[in-house]
Amino acid sequence: MENKKEVILSVKDLRQHFPIDGGGLFKKTVGYIRAVDGISFDVYKGETVGIVGESGCGKSTTVRSIAQLYKPTTGQILFNGVDLCTADKDTLLKERRNIQMIFQDPYASLDPRMTVRNIILEPLRIYNKRGLLEKKYTEEELEERVKDLMEKVGINKAFVNRYPHEFSGGQRQRIGIARALALNPEIILADEPVSALDVSIQAQILNLISDIQKEMGVTFIFIAHDLGVIQHISHRVIVMYLGKIMEISPSDDLYADPKHPYTEALLSAAPIPDPKVERSRQRIVLEGDVPSPDKERHCCYFYDRCSKRMDKCAAAVPPLFDCGGGHHVACFLYDDKPIAEPANDKPTEGELKLKAKMEKKEKRKGASQAV
Amino acid sequence: MALLKKNKKNESATNEFDQVIVGTSLTKEAWKRLQKNKLAVVGGIIVIIYALVAICADLLPLYPYDQAITSHRNLRPSLTKTAGELMLEQEMKNLFFQAWRGGRLEVPDEEDALIEQWVRESKTNKVWDLLYERGMAALEDGSFTWSSSEQRRIDNVLEDIETETLITIDSVSADLGDGMKRIDDMSYDELVSLYAGLLGTDVATVESSLYNEVSATVSNELRANDSTLSGEDLTASIEMEMDAMGRDGFENRASQNLVAYIEQLAQRGASSDVNALISSGDAVLPYKGVFDLSSGLHVELEVSRMHDRHYYCGTDYLGRDLLSRIIYGSQISIAIGIVGTVTSIFIGILVGALAGYLGGKVDYYLMRFVDIMYGLPYMLLVIICMAIFGRNIVNLFFALALVSWLTIARMVRGQIMSLKNQEYVEAARSMGAGTMHIIFRHMIPNSLSVIIVYSTIRIPAFIMQESFLSFLGLGVQAPYASWGSLIGDAVSSMSLYPYKLLIPSIVMVVFLFSMNFLGDGLRDAFDPQSKNQL
Repeated sequence: MENKKEVILSVKDLRQHFPIDGGGLFKKTVGYIRAVDGISFDVYKGETVGIVGESGCGKSTTVRSIAQLYKPTTGQILFNGVDLCTADKDTLLKERRNIQMIFQDPYASLDPRMTVRNIILEPLRIYNKRGLLEKKYTEEELEERVKDLMEKVGINKAFVNRYPHEFSGGQRQRIGIARALALNPEIILADEPVSALDVSIQAQILNLISDIQKEMGVTFIFIAHDLGVIQHISHRVIVMYLGKIMEISPSDDLYADPKHPYTEALLSAAPIPDPKVERSRQRIVLEGDVPSPDKERHCCYFYDRCSKRMDKCAAAVPPLFDCGGGHHVACFLYDDKPIAEPANDKPTEGELKLKAKMEKKEKRKGASQAV
Repeated sequence: MALLKKNKKNESATNEFDQVIVGTSLTKEAWKRLQKNKLAVVGGIIVIIYALVAICADLLPLYPYDQAITSHRNLRPSLTKTAGELMLEQEMKNLFFQAWRGGRLEVPDEEDALIEQWVRESKTNKVWDLLYERGMAALEDGSFTWSSSEQRRIDNVLEDIETETLITIDSVSADLGDGMKRIDDMSYDELVSLYAGLLGTDVATVESSLYNEVSATVSNELRANDSTLSGEDLTASIEMEMDAMGRDGFENRASQNLVAYIEQLAQRGASSDVNALISSGDAVLPYKGVFDLSSGLHVELEVSRMHDRHYYCGTDYLGRDLLSRIIYGSQISIAIGIVGTVTSIFIGILVGALAGYLGGKVDYYLMRFVDIMYGLPYMLLVIICMAIFGRNIVNLFFALALVSWLTIARMVRGQIMSLKNQEYVEAARSMGAGTMHIIFRHMIPNSLSVIIVYSTIRIPAFIMQESFLSFLGLGVQAPYASWGSLIGDAVSSMSLYPYKLLIPSIVMVVFLFSMNFLGDGLRDAFDPQSKNQL
């Protein structure tokens, strides 16, 4: 069944490490925050992939790396077969047209000094100027397009001359969606688009997103804290923890039968909107805190806090095991299943480079101390 | 035109009731808030008035700011009295004082003691005023009369007031064989032959004397710049300068001299005709007339009574009208404020935006350069600049702008760095916007409010710096004036002629005050959350 679907975006061993600068006169890198530490997944055309996980697990970093807002440390992001990480500027610009973002904070993601027209037209103008659209649009045609988009996202088109501060949060998020739709992208990366809105507005925005997907066949990668939101909107769900994928599964499957201990704990933390059931809800409370992501790990990333940890969990990083029906789990409890992705124990090229650099530095330090 | 059309289209969006919907931009809201701030509005109006007066100075009925009339030196400001009356008053004050010294003018004993004390404390103005009052009273009741020599001095002044005229040459033309031509439009060769004809000498003599004059000016300039030059060094330097000047430069300078000489000749030639006209009673002053002189010059001139002038702000130590000097001085002072601010903002935005947005090495080196510049004593830098490149207004602009962009660069950098991580900038990047697009479309418009506020506060600072330099004698050079140079000139005679110090100071302080109020108002308007509002 999966084979019929067309892979539109493929992330392969993506790592995003941010340097930590030490103090002092000359800034020196003293370590790295491993925000995303080797994740791989495919996204199929027309589906919605939800990414969940607690704060700091690398969800946003993942989509920002896909949008090339950060240059990934290592790994590949294949979009329609083109690697965005190594693409040159022109190719990147051409491909970027098909990857647009919706941002979390509707107050911060719109330039307060631009009118709605200019906000929605900004991407169109950039691409129109360089002649990267199907044809050169005239100002009148662009004006028409703005009106269309505003209608599509449900804002009165008479408001084109207004400024963002004259709108409510929900309306602003609609403007943000209109801007993302302006270039007719194939994928929209939605970085927690509803977390900053109140619940009634959340539902409207989610419905709008579903409608758009049905109508235009856009693929969504959707981040949310709220497990209910993810369940409502996604076809497949990726559970992340500490920069690593714990579980990938079709949405219904995941909620019915969570396999990874972390997913179990996460799902048990979600409140149920029924007082009777809610009262009898069993919470799995994890021990300890999320460890700092600045260390290199050679064990299961969840090892410290897992209630079902085994000896072999400490020995190696678990690969994703295929539990059938598109359900993959990175846990040694499912070791008897075939491995979904070839194990990636070997350090990647970037890792090697990094290691070599660090060693060199160490050596220099040692030498200077010896002197 | 295109802009206008675009705006019209923008306003065509209507709602279901056919009402035009126009958004209110942040700038518009700030403008509304500013209008509610009375102090800022008053400040703004005063600033606009100053600017208008400075711009329209040439159209105002002012006496030339560089015209010095020797007999009008140090006249006090007066709204009603003419220069002649003031001259007479001053003469009488002197005479009364001498009479008091000689014991001829008698005042009560306690006043005698008081005057003695004032003389010791050199409060000359008080002495004069008191003695003038007493003397006039004494003249009235006949207890004091002028001696014959005193009466003669007074009569002299009165006669001067009655007869002395001021001749202003509007234009001089001459016929050089091909019709009348104004001397301002003549070439060097024409001027030389005309001047030689007027003097009755040959062209070679005129040329050689011109050469001597120009080289004398050059030598003065050289010695002003380097007082150690003398003897052979000086001669060699003069020759080098003259060579560097070239034929064109020499002709330029010489032509200026020649025009002045010919105008002098014309004035001298016309004055007898004018006097004859006046004494015959045919001309009513002020008189405008055209004279054809016997030397062939055709002169258009204006004659007015010299001592009928009104000096509402008094005159300076050379007899120049202070009001006109203050207004022309404000031209220079305000221009320095504006040009300096604009230049420094331009450089500051460029450097600050690049450093802030690009970050990393670029930021590091640009900011270290700024730090180093900060470390240098900047007034010293300006003074050195002025000393090296010569003291003129353009160099003053240049020197001030050179060291004043640092703060703006730092400020813009800070702004840009805080804006860089805003989501709308990330959004723009994800849409494929280039660096320049982001800087010019998103970052600078969003930091503009801070820049505008800062620049209104910078303008007074520039004016202060210029005044400081002019006060030290490094700023604008005579005959130009600026507020600072007027104040600087006045300081030496502060106790005798306090108005010379007070009037330019008040003018300057009012402007700086208004500018600061306007700046404060703008800051509050652009930042509605600011806590220190009224």
